[in-house]
Parts: sequence; structure tokens; C-alpha cells
Amino acid sequence: MKRDIANDVDPDWAWSSYQPSESRPWTLAMAGHLYRRAAFGATYSELQQAVSGGPQKTVDRLLRGGEELDAFHHVMDQDELASAKSGNMGSLRAWWLRRMLKTPYPLLEKMTLFWHSHFGISGSRVGDSQLMLQHIRVLREHALGKYSSMLDAVSQDPAVYLGLGAQSSRKAQPNEEFARQLMHRLSLGPGNFGEEDVSEASRAFTGWVVLRGQLRFFDREHDTGVKKILGRSGNWKAEDVLRIVLEQPVAPRMLVRKLYRWFVSEVEDPSDRLLDPLAEMLAKDYDTGRVVETMLRSNHFFSAAAYRRRIKSPVEFALEIVRGMEGTLSTVILSEELAQLGQNLYNPPTVDGWYGGRHWINSATMTGRCNLAHSLFARNGRYGGKLDPTAIASRYGYDDPTASPGFLVALFLQDDLPKSVREELRRTIPSSIDTDGSALRQFASNAAALTEFQLS
Amino acid sequence: MSHSRRDFLKSVVGTSTLVSLSPAMPTFMQQSALAAGASEPSSDTVLVVVQLSGGNDGLNTVVPYSNDIYARSRSTLRLTASDVHPIDSDLGFHPEMPLFSRLFKDGQMMVVQGVGYPNSNRGHDEALRDWHTARPGQAACQTGWLGRAIDHAERPDEPSVPATLVAPIPMPLALGTQRAVVPSVRSAEKWTLRTDESQRKGLLEAAKQSATDSDNPLAHYVQQSSLAAHATSHQVAEVLRTTDRQDEYPSFSLAKQFKTISELIRADLGVRIFFAELGGGGIGGFDNHANQRDNHAALLRELSISVAAFVDDLNRAKLLDRVLLMSFSEFGRTLSENGRRGTGHGAAAPVFLAGGRLKGGLFGEHPDLADLKEDAPRHHTDYRQVYATALERWLGFPSEPVLGASYKALDLFV
Repeated sequence: MKRDIANDVDPDWAWSSYQPSESRPWTLAMAGHLYRRAAFGATYSELQQAVSGGPQKTVDRLLRGGEELDAFHHVMDQDELASAKSGNMGSLRAWWLRRMLKTPYPLLEKMTLFWHSHFGISGSRVGDSQLMLQHIRVLREHALGKYSSMLDAVSQDPAVYLGLGAQSSRKAQPNEEFARQLMHRLSLGPGNFGEEDVSEASRAFTGWVVLRGQLRFFDREHDTGVKKILGRSGNWKAEDVLRIVLEQPVAPRMLVRKLYRWFVSEVEDPSDRLLDPLAEMLAKDYDTGRVVETMLRSNHFFSAAAYRRRIKSPVEFALEIVRGMEGTLSTVILSEELAQLGQNLYNPPTVDGWYGGRHWINSATMTGRCNLAHSLFARNGRYGGKLDPTAIASRYGYDDPTASPGFLVALFLQDDLPKSVREELRRTIPSSIDTDGSALRQFASNAAALTEFQLS
Repeated sequence: MSHSRRDFLKSVVGTSTLVSLSPAMPTFMQQSALAAGASEPSSDTVLVVVQLSGGNDGLNTVVPYSNDIYARSRSTLRLTASDVHPIDSDLGFHPEMPLFSRLFKDGQMMVVQGVGYPNSNRGHDEALRDWHTARPGQAACQTGWLGRAIDHAERPDEPSVPATLVAPIPMPLALGTQRAVVPSVRSAEKWTLRTDESQRKGLLEAAKQSATDSDNPLAHYVQQSSLAAHATSHQVAEVLRTTDRQDEYPSFSLAKQFKTISELIRADLGVRIFFAELGGGGIGGFDNHANQRDNHAALLRELSISVAAFVDDLNRAKLLDRVLLMSFSEFGRTLSENGRRGTGHGAAAPVFLAGGRLKGGLFGEHPDLADLKEDAPRHHTDYRQVYATALERWLGFPSEPVLGASYKALDLFV
């Protein structure tokens, strides 16, 4: 029987802070791992800084975000708003990608993307780019905050009602979509509630109607009768339902399980025993930031149970290339290509979000990823040759054509490649002098096509 | 040959041993192909769905030319016995569709008449959504009938692609999945890798050598997908290199889509479902509220010529027996003209089927023009019966979990 490396561990040890030791050293590979999960990959200097600073200091920095965050957000917010006002959902996608690329606080964007998938609200259903922008802002505002506050905010967000098909709920005809999705996906999980809980809770949401992009409450359409939800009776209102579902012990565990799949591993299904310490922590006050922090600092996170045990989403795949190359390019074209690879920002496929994992990859999307890397690194073409491996290698002092391939392998794969693959990759560089950098461009796109680079 | 080896080959290169034996493939793949012995060419069936956007006027496509009610109701759009290509003494194909007439006579085309659904919607968006989701009236439904079939057919350990969009339109809801990623492939070239083939081969062989890290199933899966991408790219490139059929397909958009589909079928990639489109997507070209005659004729001409080119091509390649083409439109149109030489949104309409294993002929009666509902023909065959037929009898997929209920399949195939 195969050893279950995720669950054969002591939960107390698993979630304790990782301290490097001789048997478990802090390496370039570990630094790369942290930046893949808590950010959208790293630049070479970030990797170096991480290696010298150690894991906890690096996690501190990622949790805190960089400097001049307010100024950055202010500028981005204005550009986005102008774009939303023009009604162009496609340009919103591009702005978000740009924010992910340039932000001093990538973990915040990573979590915002997590919540976007969690709530599964799609612009094509909401049909209003300003409401979608507002929705993503709500998610960003609470991204590392309390889930209870997030749900309160989401229950006041018109985009959510439109996206769930719950735009109108009248006393005589309660709309069940909000209550159903709340219980099914956002708190309790299937099997932990009954149809009667859905219909009773729906009565608490009556009176809420989205009118011309505004969420409004009509007193006369609200059902003030007694509702019995999960065994508790009272004249419950919407906010009471949110409180009641979050008080169920299954709710924190479900959310922790989802965060585990996002930050730690898509391979093994973690046992309740492993998750219990985190679920108990979350149950106290629903502080997701603290759970994320605990995960990122943990022994388990920096172990084989987590390392390369996720498949990069298309956004992660592309942004890690662009961030590593410290370049700027058209995110309008990129966001369209990422949509073709299965991740259309602002438009998750269903309310279940992006399931991801193996589903990201098939023979067509694998081809698409290789060709995307090829065009990102190409001297000419749609991205204008703006990512230049020779220039970035030279910036870090790897001017010598024999050294620059090694630099790229350190940057993108942290040198963690099987020997045979490393040697073969090296052979793809012709021995003749690479006068115009084309061979290094080709080398870089071969590296991005490797199995190891698809894994996070 | 062990079952797992057969599965491995199939998931990576369809069933084509010829490709796995090509020198462009990694040595270990050639070896396992040799060990597997000669394999049969793929016999998987393929479904090609063609959306006619905008609401096709079924009454002027399969024309009841000798019907008095029709003649009275269509003052400017009426087609007469001398215009149409007769099917029988009552019905005939539109004048621009001599090739449909030929395919029909050869038994390579069938017409399912009077297809629709109860209380059908007459708004474009709503009706199209109903056809795409196969859940009429359920606005909250976010997956399509084909998408659900794809999620159902997808094997988590195989990198094969069950379906692809070929039409130059945004991903239609019909292909909306919950988990699987459905690619949009506008030309077969898009399925070829731009990196150097021999370098790729070397890297795949090197990766195979070092594949000792077997306890990471994701690494193994990605590796399989890379092999599949490599093999697929080679197969498509071979097809493009060896078949030059520029002159066999006219320059219509729909014909170009069919040409791509034909190339992808020849490449034997294991794709079971293709989605094509005519009319421009959205509220499409078939929506002729005014001056319908010439617009409609041009679209039917494109449809007829493109489908015939596709059928003839597949027939010559001996692939027609594996293919079923099925058209649909969100609704038919009203019997009466609207005073602007056009027609309004209707209800039931014919579905066209083409392929090599059809029984042929007309299926079901032409709707009774003396018994209309709000000026449009009534349906006698539910569209979900047609879907159930395509899923169950053609693709061999269970239809009930996809359609949410059991629908009686139609007896269409030999």
C-alpha cells in the first residue's frame, strides 16, 4: 500500500512553525515553493532574499505585503473603475492580471482569486461590469479577514444575487438559490443540511431584491414568521441565517479543507484529524488570515506532502513566467489566452468555481501552455519580445552564455530537476555562440514546458 | 497485451499505432506500441453539432410547397413546386439546397421534422439557453447538455479531450462544463506545438528515464499529458502535411470549420464532440424579420454546400460511418409573413442529420399547418429525444444523467 504522506503525520507537528534543521534545510527549492503558493512566483532577487532571510521572515514579508500599497491600490482602483464604467468586462480581466503582476502584496490577490472561485460569481451572468468590479473589491477587502464579515458583505452585494439567480425573493415566492448555495457550497457542504433547512432559510431572505443594480429591502415582502433552521426556531432574518450556519461545527472544517487544497495539496484528501487544529482555530472567530498564516508557516507546508503537489492554474503558469522575467506586456492579450486555457477571470465556469487540479490539463491545454510560453518568450509576435531571458540573466550578473541557462533553471525551477532532464535541457542550447539570444529564448520556453514547471 | 498498456496508448495517441511507431515519438513509446501489436483504427463515433443562430425558418427550408395554407400565408417568401428540390409530392428543399437534396436521396441525410418542446420560449436568449442546457426554463442552469456529457465522459487519469469548439464564437453554454476544460480550436494548426520536435522528444525521453518519483500522481499525469501533446501535435502535422484538400472546401466560414473538424477526425485524437456554427453567433443571421428571402437563401446555400463538402470528404476518407452531424436552431419561425417580407419568432422546426449510418428519409410528420400555436408549427418530437438519441445511440453515453430524465430515443440508425 502506498504511504499517505499527507495524513501519516502528527497534526500538532504538522501545523507548528517550520524551523530549518540539518535534516530539513531551508533551500532555494523551498523558497520557490513558498512564492508559488503565497504569491504568483518570484523574481530572482526575491528568491535570493528569501534564501538568506529564512522561511519565517519571508512569510512575514508575504503576509504584510510590500511598501506603498495604498498608493498602488489607489492608482489601480482608478484605472479599473474607468474601465468598468466603459462596460468592458474584458478589460477588467486585464486590469486584474496587471494588479496580480505588479502588486506589492501578491498574497492578497492570491486570496482574492481564491474567493472569486469560492463564490463562483460570473460576469456573464451578472451582466454589469461595475457590479462585478464592486464584487471583486468586496472579496479583496475581506480576503485575509474574517469569513463571517465576508459573508455579511457578500449578502449585501447585488452581484452575488444576480450571479446566483436570486435577484428577487418575495414573501409569496421565496427564492431558494441564495440559501441553497450558502449551505451547499459556502458553509455546511452536501449532506449536512436538509431541503427543509433550505426552504426555511429562504424565507429569511425574502424581501431582498436587486433593482437597477442596487440591492434593496422591501419590508412588506419579508416573511416575519418563525423559521426553523438547523433545529433552531426564531423570527430569523438574513444575518441570523449567516450566523447560524457558521455556528455549525462542519462549517469551519469545510472552509479549511478548501484552503488546504488551495495552499497545500491537491493530491491527498486530508483527514479530519489533520485539519482539526485549523478548523478549531477558524471556529473561534473565522479569521481566515490566521489560518492562512499558520498553513504558510507550517512544517507540513514545507514538506513533501505539499511540495509540487498542485497543478498550476493557467494564471499561475503565465504570471510566474512574467514575474520571473520582470517584464511588462499586454495583459489584454494574455487574459484572452488564459481564458482559452480554461481560466477566464471574472467568469468562473459555474458557481462551483474552478475545480482545477488535473482538470486544468489535457492534451489540448498542454499544447496551449507550451505555445503560450513559446510566444511569451518569442523575440517577435503578439507579446512583442518584451520578456528577454538574456537581459534578465545579465542584470543578475550571468552575462556568460554558459551561465545564463543555469540562471534560468534556478529562477524557474530552483534547480530541482532530475539529472537526465537537466542535461537534456542543456543540450537544447546549441554550442555555437548565441549572438542574438534566440537560443536562450528557446531554452526558456523548453523549460516552461517541462512537467516540473506545470506543478506548483 | 496488458489492459493498462492499451489504456496508456489509447490515452496518449488515440489508437493509432502508426503514430506511436513514428521516429518522432520517444523510443519508449515506439517500444510499447510494438509490444502492443497492430491495433485497429479508431472506431469511436463522433458527433458534430451545428448551431444555426437566429432561428431558422424551417418552413422555407423543408418547404410544404403544395400546401394551400402555406401558399396563402407567404405572400412574398412563398416557394413553389418549380422552385424547390422535391422530396415528395408535398415537401421539397429550398432552391439553394440541391446538395441537401442529393445527400437526402443518397441516404446520407435525414430530416427530423417538428422538433421543439412544450411552452417553448420565443426570445432568442431564453430559447437558445433552453436548447443549450436541455433544461427549459431553468435560468439558473450553468452547464450545457454537451458539457455535462463531457464531464461524465472525462476520465481523471487520461489527458484526452472529449470535445472542442471549432466555431469562431465565444464558448457556447451547450459546452459548459463544471470541471473539464473544453478547448476552442479554430484551425488544426492550433493543436500543433511550436517548439522543436526533436528537442521535445529528447526531453520526454530524459523525463521517462528519471521517472522514479512515482508517488506524485500529478507529476505522472502531467508527464502523460506532455506525451499526449507531443503525439497529438505530430498527428495533426502529419494530417496537414499529407492531405491537401484546399479545393475540396469552399471558402465559407462553415466549410472552413468542417475542414478543421475533418482534419482533427483524421488525426484520430479521440475527440468525440465538435461544435460548429452558422449565422454569426448571438442573435444570428437566421433572424430575418425583414427582407428574408436573399439573406436566408445565402445562409442555406452556405449550409448546403458546406455540409455536402464535409460529407463527401469524410465519405472518400471512409470516415463517414463514424460521424453524425446534427443541426439545431433556437426556434423556427411564424407561418405568416409580418408585412416586412420577413417572419417572426416561431416554435418547432426541422433538425437535419447527416452521416454514414442513417436510415435515411423523413422522420416524423411535417407539422400540421391547420393546427398552429400562435402562428407557428407545433412540435411532435421533443428536442431532448434527439439529444438522447445522439448521446445514447450514437456516442454510447448514458443520456439520463445528462438530460435529467429519460427521453425516448429515436430509431434513426442502421
